[in-house]
Amino acid sequence: MPIYEQAYRKYEARAEPPFVRFWPITREALRLVLSKRAYIGLMIAAFIPFVVRVVQIYVVTRFPEAGRVLPVDGRLFGEFLNQQIGLTLLLSIFGGSGLIANDLRTGAILVYLSRPLTRRDYVLGKLGVVMGLNLAVTLVPGLLLYLIALGLAPDMFVKWSLAWIAPAVALHSIVISLAVSLLTLAVSALSRSARVAGLALAGLMIGLEIVRGILVAMTDQKLAHVLSVQTDLRAVGNALFGIVSSRGVVVPIVYPVVVLILLALGCLYVLRSRVRAVEIVT
Amino acid sequence: MTDVDATPLVTFKDLTVSYGMLQALGGVSGSFPPGPTGLLGPNGAGKTTLLKALLGFLRPDRGSMTAFGLDPGQKPLEVRRRIGYMPEQDCHLPGMTAGAFVAFAGELSGLPRDEAISRAHEVLYYVGLGEARYRTVDTYSTGMKQRVKLAQALVHDPDLLLLDEPTNGLDPQGREEMLVLISDIVSRRQMSLVLCSHLLRDVERTCENVIVLSQGQVATSGSIAALTGPRRQVYDVRLKGDAAAFLTDLKDKGVEWTEGEDGYRVFLPEGHGPDALFVTAREAGVQVRHLRPGTESLEDVFLRALGHGS
Repeated sequence: MPIYEQAYRKYEARAEPPFVRFWPITREALRLVLSKRAYIGLMIAAFIPFVVRVVQIYVVTRFPEAGRVLPVDGRLFGEFLNQQIGLTLLLSIFGGSGLIANDLRTGAILVYLSRPLTRRDYVLGKLGVVMGLNLAVTLVPGLLLYLIALGLAPDMFVKWSLAWIAPAVALHSIVISLAVSLLTLAVSALSRSARVAGLALAGLMIGLEIVRGILVAMTDQKLAHVLSVQTDLRAVGNALFGIVSSRGVVVPIVYPVVVLILLALGCLYVLRSRVRAVEIVT
Repeated sequence: MTDVDATPLVTFKDLTVSYGMLQALGGVSGSFPPGPTGLLGPNGAGKTTLLKALLGFLRPDRGSMTAFGLDPGQKPLEVRRRIGYMPEQDCHLPGMTAGAFVAFAGELSGLPRDEAISRAHEVLYYVGLGEARYRTVDTYSTGMKQRVKLAQALVHDPDLLLLDEPTNGLDPQGREEMLVLISDIVSRRQMSLVLCSHLLRDVERTCENVIVLSQGQVATSGSIAALTGPRRQVYDVRLKGDAAAFLTDLKDKGVEWTEGEDGYRVFLPEGHGPDALFVTAREAGVQVRHLRPGTESLEDVFLRALGHGS
């Protein structure tokens, strides 16, 4: 049968788009990312620190004297989340660096933006992917760890004085995930190649860490610490969970917070100027 | 099938659109009536810019545009919901099968997921990709990618289909099949479309109306039948002798001509017969060796609108 003899039905019911217009974008991108076995392996590996912390809590409940070496209190959660920062970066580099870059390369951005979707919907859809992946290795294990701690060591954790832990875990997880996700998308939007974007993101993180180290060594200025995004995120965690840095570095929390806010605004600006259906070169 | 007098789907008046300092459309006015309309013009004429303004991607510097009674600048989502857009350049999602891609496109247009999946399969069969719908689009040939682009534009059953250079990069057979599909969409599916192309034959074959753009201006517009109709007599002429004098004399008499591959195409105004050619030839001292009546094609209209020929 010739192709023009084949028909498709006229679509009569013209449904209103779903309220959450960005959800199909998030769902399909997550499906594509999670279809890679290597990525699933990486996500499983990101749960190793969680398992270590569960063992730590278990050991301390069985052998209280171990608590002197491995203290189990609210700070444990902050240290755990600070450990996860590096892993969220790794997951974002492999899972998020191509999210916008690939669309720019293959022209798929037009498929999205010629639909009843705004640029905000598109960015929210992509942000949902990286946020989802990052929250899966911060918020989910963080809250799970808290629940396990309540179950294994009720005499240590079932106290009103420690009820702040769950909200603090949620807040720190969201801060980490949002900062890393926005940075990932902004870098992805600056390139048409997922590999280049991934390398640029890794280079940016490592580069800033190196610059921070050099400046601190040369000038001994504590303020130089805010140059590193990881250090800023750790500083937020330290402030939330009352952790005193082992290196004795104390930067007023306002500086890292301001840097993270500026970073987020910068990323939003990049996304606003790069996510367009029409590339205007003047 | 088209009622020319029907309310236009899209109208634009004095539309001016610029990319920074570069003006792409300079005060164009016109309309897309229901049915197939060709948007014709050389590269850089402003065809794609007009489509992008219609989709609300570009804000006009001046002028107004309405689609389905709505301003695309003010209500872009409502307008896009009723439009299917097949972009000129390649567009697909890496790693996605054609079925998943088209269903996803349907969902983005507001179709419920189940309906989007069901329609994706139907539309892929319709464009001739039924057997290949479980392959990833990355592995498709150029012709197949063009078809999948058409499928994603059709999946939500739009009121107006915008096809930007749909036969780009296709071999003759692929081009023929694409034109058959487009004709079928118009004639049997009763869908209105705008075919944006620099290929005259594609437009002539599939469209009823045409807007010719040149350097950001509307060079001419109207129904193809009226533009190419019998209002002027056309003759293909071959000469022996000094053609330059003959052509100059024709121009002096207000007769237009274009140079063909093997002679000249002469457009006689209403009221003139071929004897005018013989008289002019005698005066110019040339022999008419071949004289054949012809019909004015869209190519003639196009070239005349662009100022080529006499």
